[in-house]
This record gives sequence, structure tokens and C-alpha cells, in this order.
Amino acid sequence: MTRFISPLIAIVAGLLVLLGYFLPNNDLLGGLRAKFIEWAVILAAAALLVGILNLLTVHIKKISAKEKGSFYSLLLIISLLFTLFVGLFAGTDSSAMQDLFNAVILPVESSLLAIMVVTLIYAGIRLLRYRNDLMAFVFLITVLVIMLGAAPLPFVELPLVGSVIRPFIISVFSTSGARGILLGVALGTLLTGLRVLVGTDRPYGGK
Amino acid sequence: MASSEFFIEAIAFLLTLAVLFYLVGDNFLFRAAIYIFIGASAGYVTVLLLQEVFAPQKIIPIISGSGGGIALAILVLLLFAKAFPPLSKLGTPSLAFMVGVGAAIAIGGAVTGTLFPQTSAAINAFEGISLFEGEGGRLLEAILMLLVTISTLVYFQFSARRGDDGKYRRNPITRVLAFFGKIFIAITFGVLFAGVFSAALTAFIERVDSIINFIIKLRELF
Repeated sequence: MTRFISPLIAIVAGLLVLLGYFLPNNDLLGGLRAKFIEWAVILAAAALLVGILNLLTVHIKKISAKEKGSFYSLLLIISLLFTLFVGLFAGTDSSAMQDLFNAVILPVESSLLAIMVVTLIYAGIRLLRYRNDLMAFVFLITVLVIMLGAAPLPFVELPLVGSVIRPFIISVFSTSGARGILLGVALGTLLTGLRVLVGTDRPYGGK
Repeated sequence: MASSEFFIEAIAFLLTLAVLFYLVGDNFLFRAAIYIFIGASAGYVTVLLLQEVFAPQKIIPIISGSGGGIALAILVLLLFAKAFPPLSKLGTPSLAFMVGVGAAIAIGGAVTGTLFPQTSAAINAFEGISLFEGEGGRLLEAILMLLVTISTLVYFQFSARRGDDGKYRRNPITRVLAFFGKIFIAITFGVLFAGVFSAALTAFIERVDSIINFIIKLRELF
């Protein structure tokens, strides 16, 4: 029975929202579209809560089984519960929550972005070592020209790089290339969405 | 400097150092910082969800209001069944609803948000160009931009015909266009890479600056 219910729900809900999208003057479809999107947002929030509950369960199991790395799980649970406690009792706009954000989330996020400098340099070197072809050469030359064109070099100024070549690459090649990639991605999204709406793809688990 | 401010900066300093220690290899400090970060982020998201979506004053009017609020309540309850493995199948209809609505939004977004605007932008590059007013350069640029877009798009076409010998062959024009498309994709990714690298470099400088500032404050204090 559930084999048919889930695809039916997905197809009917999706088609009604899609019709509401392309027939905005129809009050019934427009209203249904707005309501269904509101429901989907609430369900997505519930799915996030389920995910966090699952995260907690997995790490509690790890600690109780005294598995390798359970100390890290303990750290995760303590920081999660502490943040939850502060947030629920003081509120998200409180100074305590802001302090927590500035002390933990912001510096770690920023530091992770910072270590990406080394990761990217390493990736560039690996590209030269393992893929020694025209594409790798074009890619790395472009990176070099864009970086050199943007960097304020001491004592020297590279002729044409910053004033002509870099703007030309960005405004002509990069913009149009990105447009082509975006169009390709949009066509792929369209196809995947249609496959879900006709029931060919069932990523929710229906057979 | 207030003691609470110093305490926050000290924690930020220690976590920054712990994450930057990754540069010498995966180690205990890096892992500890990451697990603390994941826990704090998950807690922050949970608080936001509970206060912005599931707060009684926000969710009760939606569920008790007209227009099938009870159906929403049932879908939410069924979704929570996913957290318990023996009951997880009960959550499939809720997932199906989300996927269906998500697919429709994705289709609408792809058509009205990307396909139409990007196609219009490719056409608009030719708008107002007059060859008689010495705008040949602009026309050439517009043609080049269109060719780059088309060849990039052609690169994503992987269909081919089977020849008499049974081997698959692409149309020669498609093959040439796809070759140039590949080069333009490499250029585009090169520009994106440079942008991400610049952002990461800025973050790195900011973090190093924060470390130096904290050490200076520590020296002033003691």
C-alpha cells in the first residue's frame, strides 16, 4: 500500500506546486502552492531536528560502547547541550548566544577557510604532477593571470595583465563559460525534477 | 578590556590555533576543535529551529488554522518516526511530500531563475550594437561570448551515434565545439579557483592578525 501512497503524494504535491508556479493568476493553485511550500519548509525544519537527534544518538552510542574516539563524541555532546541550554534560556538574540557564536563558531569557520589556502596550493601542485595536459595548463595559467592581475606587486607593474587581460578573461570567457555551465546545470535540474514528478526517480525510498 | 571579552577572545584564540594545527597534519587538537564546532553549530541550529519554526506561537496557528493543518501535523509526526529505525518507514510519505514540492520548486527555479534570464542575457549582449557607429569591437565581443556559452553547453552533450564499425562517434562539429567548451570550462574554473583562493587568503591573514593581536594583549596584561 505504502508503495503507491508515497509516489502519489510526491507527484500530486509536486504537480500542484508546479501548476501554481506557472499559473500565478489562479487563486486556488496560487494558494495551494504557498501552503504546500510553507508545509515543506516546516517539514525540512523537522527533518533537520531528526538529523540532529540522530547525531546525538550515534555519539551517545559511541560513548556507551567505549568506542575509539569516544572522547571527541563527549566533546560534541557537551558543546551541543551547552549551546542548546544557553540558546533556550537566554534566546538567540541574547549577548550570551552572541558570545558563544563569536568564541566558537566564527573563529573555527574562519580558520577552516584559512587552512584552505594551503589545501588549494597543494591541490594545484598535485594537478601539475598527476594531470599534465592542456586543460591543467589552461586552468593554472588562468589562475596565475587572475591572481597576478589582482595583486598589488611591489616595485613592478605587469603590463596589460591587470588592465586588459584579467578584465577580458573575467568579462568574456569566465562570464560566458559560467553562463554555459549554469544553463547545463539548469537543464539537468529540470530533467531530474521532471523524473521525480513523473515517478521515474523516487529518492524518498518508494519502490 | 572586560574579563568576559578577554575570555571569549581566549577561547577563539585557542580554537583558531587548534584548527591551524591541521597544517602539520591531522591531530588531536584539530579533531577536538572540529567536534566542539559541530556540537555548537548543531545546538545553534536546534535553538533556531525551536524558536523560529516550532515555537508554540508560530506553529499552533498553522496547525489549528483552516486548510489542512492537521495533515501537516500528521506529516511532521510521521517524519519524526524516521529517528527510530523500527518505525522509519512511516516517515516515507513525509519525505515524499518534501521531495515532490522540492522538485517542483527546482523546476520553477531552473526555468524562471536560470534558463530564461541567462538566455536573455546572452541575447542582450547584441542589443543596441550598430556596425555603422564603429561598434565592431562590441559585436565581436558579443559573438565571442555567445560562442563560448554555446561551446560550454555543447560540452555537456554526451550523446553519440554508432558508426558502421559499431563504434560510437560524436558529430565532428559537436566534437570541435566540445573541445573548445572544455577549454572555456577550464578558464571559468580557473577564475573561480582564483576567487576562492583570494577569499581563503583573506581569511588566513585575518586569523593570523587575530592571533598576533591576542598575543599583544596577553603581553600587555602580564
